[in-house]
Amino acid sequence: MNRLNVRTGPVGLPASAPLSRSASHTVPVTTVSALRNAASKTFDVVLLSLVSLVFVFPFAWMATTALKSLQETLVFPPIWIPERLHWENFSEAWKSGPFPTYLRNSVMVAVSVLLLQLVTIIPAAYAFARFRFPGKRALFGLVLASLMMPPQITFVPVYVLMSRLGLMDTFVPLVVPFAASAFGIFLMRQAFMQVPDETAEAARLDNAGEWTTMWRIFVPMAKPMLATFALFSLIAHWNDYFWPLIMTDSDRLRTLAVGIARLKDIEGGNAWQVIMAGNVMLVLPILAAFFAARRHIVRAFTYTGLK
Amino acid sequence: MVRARLAPYVMIAPAVTMLGVFTVYPAVDLIRLSLTSWNMIDPVKTFVGFEHYLSLAADPDFRRVLVNTFLYTGLCVTAGLTVGLALALWLNRGGALRGFAQAAVFSPHIVSLVSVSLLWLWMMDPQFGLLNALLVSLGLGRFPWLTHPDTALASLALVQVWKNAGYNALVLIAGLQNIPKELHEAAELDRASPWHKFVGVTLPLLSPTAFFLLVVNSIDSFKVFDTIAVMTQGGPVNATNMLVYYVYENAFEYFKIGYASAAGVVLLVLVFVMTFLYFGFISKKIHYR
Amino acid sequence: MKVWNVLLGIALLVTVSACGREERPINPQPTAATGGAQAEPSRTTGSATEIEFWYPYSGVAGKTVEELVRRFNASQSEIVVKASYQGDYYENHAKVLAAIAAGRPPDVTIIEIASVGAFAHPGTLENLGPYVKRDGVDLNDFWPGLMLNSYWDGKLVALPFFRSTPIMYMNVSMLKEAGLDPAGPKTWEELRRYARALTIKDKRWGFTTPIDIWFYEALVFQSGGSILSEDGTKVAFNSPEGAAPIRFWKEMIEEGIMKFPPGEKYNAWTVADTDFFNQQVGMMFSSTGGLAGRLEQAKGKFELGTAFLPKNKEYAVPTGGANIVLLSKSTKKEAAWKFIRWVTSTEQAAFGSMSTGYLPTSRSAAETPEMQQRFKEIPQFQVALDQLAYARPRPMIPAYKEMQELIMTELQRAVIDKNISAEQAVAQAAAKAEKLLR
Repeated sequence: MNRLNVRTGPVGLPASAPLSRSASHTVPVTTVSALRNAASKTFDVVLLSLVSLVFVFPFAWMATTALKSLQETLVFPPIWIPERLHWENFSEAWKSGPFPTYLRNSVMVAVSVLLLQLVTIIPAAYAFARFRFPGKRALFGLVLASLMMPPQITFVPVYVLMSRLGLMDTFVPLVVPFAASAFGIFLMRQAFMQVPDETAEAARLDNAGEWTTMWRIFVPMAKPMLATFALFSLIAHWNDYFWPLIMTDSDRLRTLAVGIARLKDIEGGNAWQVIMAGNVMLVLPILAAFFAARRHIVRAFTYTGLK
Repeated sequence: MVRARLAPYVMIAPAVTMLGVFTVYPAVDLIRLSLTSWNMIDPVKTFVGFEHYLSLAADPDFRRVLVNTFLYTGLCVTAGLTVGLALALWLNRGGALRGFAQAAVFSPHIVSLVSVSLLWLWMMDPQFGLLNALLVSLGLGRFPWLTHPDTALASLALVQVWKNAGYNALVLIAGLQNIPKELHEAAELDRASPWHKFVGVTLPLLSPTAFFLLVVNSIDSFKVFDTIAVMTQGGPVNATNMLVYYVYENAFEYFKIGYASAAGVVLLVLVFVMTFLYFGFISKKIHYR
Repeated sequence: MKVWNVLLGIALLVTVSACGREERPINPQPTAATGGAQAEPSRTTGSATEIEFWYPYSGVAGKTVEELVRRFNASQSEIVVKASYQGDYYENHAKVLAAIAAGRPPDVTIIEIASVGAFAHPGTLENLGPYVKRDGVDLNDFWPGLMLNSYWDGKLVALPFFRSTPIMYMNVSMLKEAGLDPAGPKTWEELRRYARALTIKDKRWGFTTPIDIWFYEALVFQSGGSILSEDGTKVAFNSPEGAAPIRFWKEMIEEGIMKFPPGEKYNAWTVADTDFFNQQVGMMFSSTGGLAGRLEQAKGKFELGTAFLPKNKEYAVPTGGANIVLLSKSTKKEAAWKFIRWVTSTEQAAFGSMSTGYLPTSRSAAETPEMQQRFKEIPQFQVALDQLAYARPRPMIPAYKEMQELIMTELQRAVIDKNISAEQAVAQAAAKAEKLLR
């Protein structure tokens, strides 16, 4: 809630002051500034389009390749618009394996991981941000240390552990190892550390317990960060290929990312159009998640801290 | 800060337990294995002490791998953060076009690398690639990109920066959104120039987020694996071979688990030192409220 | 509020793990189109033996494997094979190793031929000799060229599964246009001449090949040399025969008649493919596996021809692909053997080859009516088979995987850097390789 009722421009920074001041000058200056305005706007649009193009065109290539015929896929320079739209590539990709299963598993894994992470990292980040306690440095060091362990190194001991515990045919190896996200703890710690001390003090003076302070004050203030984290976690686990491949021995529990990888052929001529169709299917839910999260990130109101 | 008794421990307990099991345990295992010679199949693991570490120190290929890893990390972090910051500042204002641009800039991060690796290989083809076509049309001549050991690393870094810039930008935007508007407005009422606003208000308040990205980007670059596996498999001539890939190759393709584990331990030590340095020196400059 | 979240989280975790356990094996509608996922165990599995088969094939090859498994399961009821995909060759190797370390390895799996030695050496693979003898399997039916990577220490440890050889692909239309013999060059010198004739500066290269160990091995064999000594204890490519291929490639690249594809390993193969299909190169070396896909790609664009790799002193090629093995830690060896025997027998070998484009692994498979028909209709397929007469084994010592990477690194270095001569490259590679042999 913007308590100061200050006019803000498009979400975020305040409207640029100089232009509004000059708008109140005499006519000739208004025309000049209007021209300047138009010029800078055009420049803006052009630059934005160029930048967007640079980042997005491999993505566009992937999407158009998904609709090409086999023959059109390897043409170089690349064809942008196929002769016919080959929608059948999508059904071919879909039918190449138990895709409904893969899809269900991907959703379960990504969502379970995220929920579990929220439960573990929010209190942990809060504790690291708010309290002094013996062993804090060492424990935070442990958190960071886990950021450093790549899955290629950890997978054998974890695989052996899960086997010995008889958990290999379950979702546990896919979800639990990620339950505590060091990345998340770190990110949220930074966000929580930005809450002004006075706010927290005020809460304590109101006799709010730590848990209440955490959920009612800190978490809402850090919503953009939380939304960002949620998005990254979903993306990372949705696209993860290595871990679900290694930690599962059969198709029952495998995720979409693994399913898509199976579209490739070793040694053989690849059907790129089908592979790309599979990749497009893999990406669509993430795009949806992105747009949903953006709304939280961009339009989330920041608390002024004034009561 | 509050001095408290039990509450913090309770709050961090679930996280720390998980991390203990899935981090400490494999790390200990790694150290243990680095002192043995094992191919993963024999029930017997021969103890060899520090032999592997000595071999690593003597191996010029391993030194190359270390240099590559540091170089790559340096490139990715510097370029990634700079581009990310520039994008964040520019795209933070609202409007539909900016919204689209934000999504566009972020899209590389969402897409799996495998699906775009082929395109990048084409774009970087020295004879027919798009990038060289552009360079030639600007009169700059052909660049060898991934085909030459001197340029392959930088080319990989380019792909990585392309993939991460939007991610960095998004986190920075979230960080910018966290800065209360009144502070900007107060600065404006003080007739502060945009530059002063940036240095006096934006940067300090953005620094926790920026620091976070610095650490995370550094660690991630250090740990790079997928990009290498998909695009260059360490070549040409070991120019893009880096630590995690080296460990994986030695363990699972050459079956030298002990040796690979020793390299893994080196990786952990280096990252640890790097993070320690970050927290020791840079963290002091971070402005928290 | 927080209690809610904690409860929700725990509830989810419990549900999730419970879900994992209770599920029946998933089997989509077993229509022909899907090719079926892993075989559905029959309802009365009480008496059937279940064996686990891990395979590294995706795409068309993967579907073929699944179909084979389905047929096996349908053809009898004592054994049920549970097949699952485990990534590519090396991911599968890593998984098998991890599974052995965890004490629960699969029963049957596929090993890439150059790694057979690495697995056989520590005793991971079961000796198939006694089973073969007992059941009277005719080993001579398998092409001798393909059996070369199946023995270790005198024992039979593997049988050929999906195998290939390198072959030369040619844009025959382009050759004809340039007035060259559509049968293609037969010797290195002819290859050089043809490449020169087909090259148009900056627009087209006559020849390309991924700078890959497989093709290097071929060229070394063709020059009369070998990579390792007979007993595998000494480096043998540190010789004029070992240097010859590098010099040949360097000369052609420097002359501008050979294109050096960027990217590594299979990426380089894909780039070579792309260049070939875009008619930016006239001839290339690649694998016979994938011939079917390549014929499809060329349709309507140009006439695709295949030929032996040109000889230097002689024709010679290594083989490629992977073999099927029985793991010695398996507790169901009889059942596993029955499956292995079935899947490598004539009818199945023929089906595998027809479906994937890999070689028919036995004489009888090649002589089945379907395959004979295929050879008549598409003579390009015959080439790889005929070339088998000149097949050599790939080195099999356990350290070879690492050695081949070392050799490759030096090869690339020499190809990229004008100042390094072929002899120097080979000497450097040999020095490193020798360390591995100690």
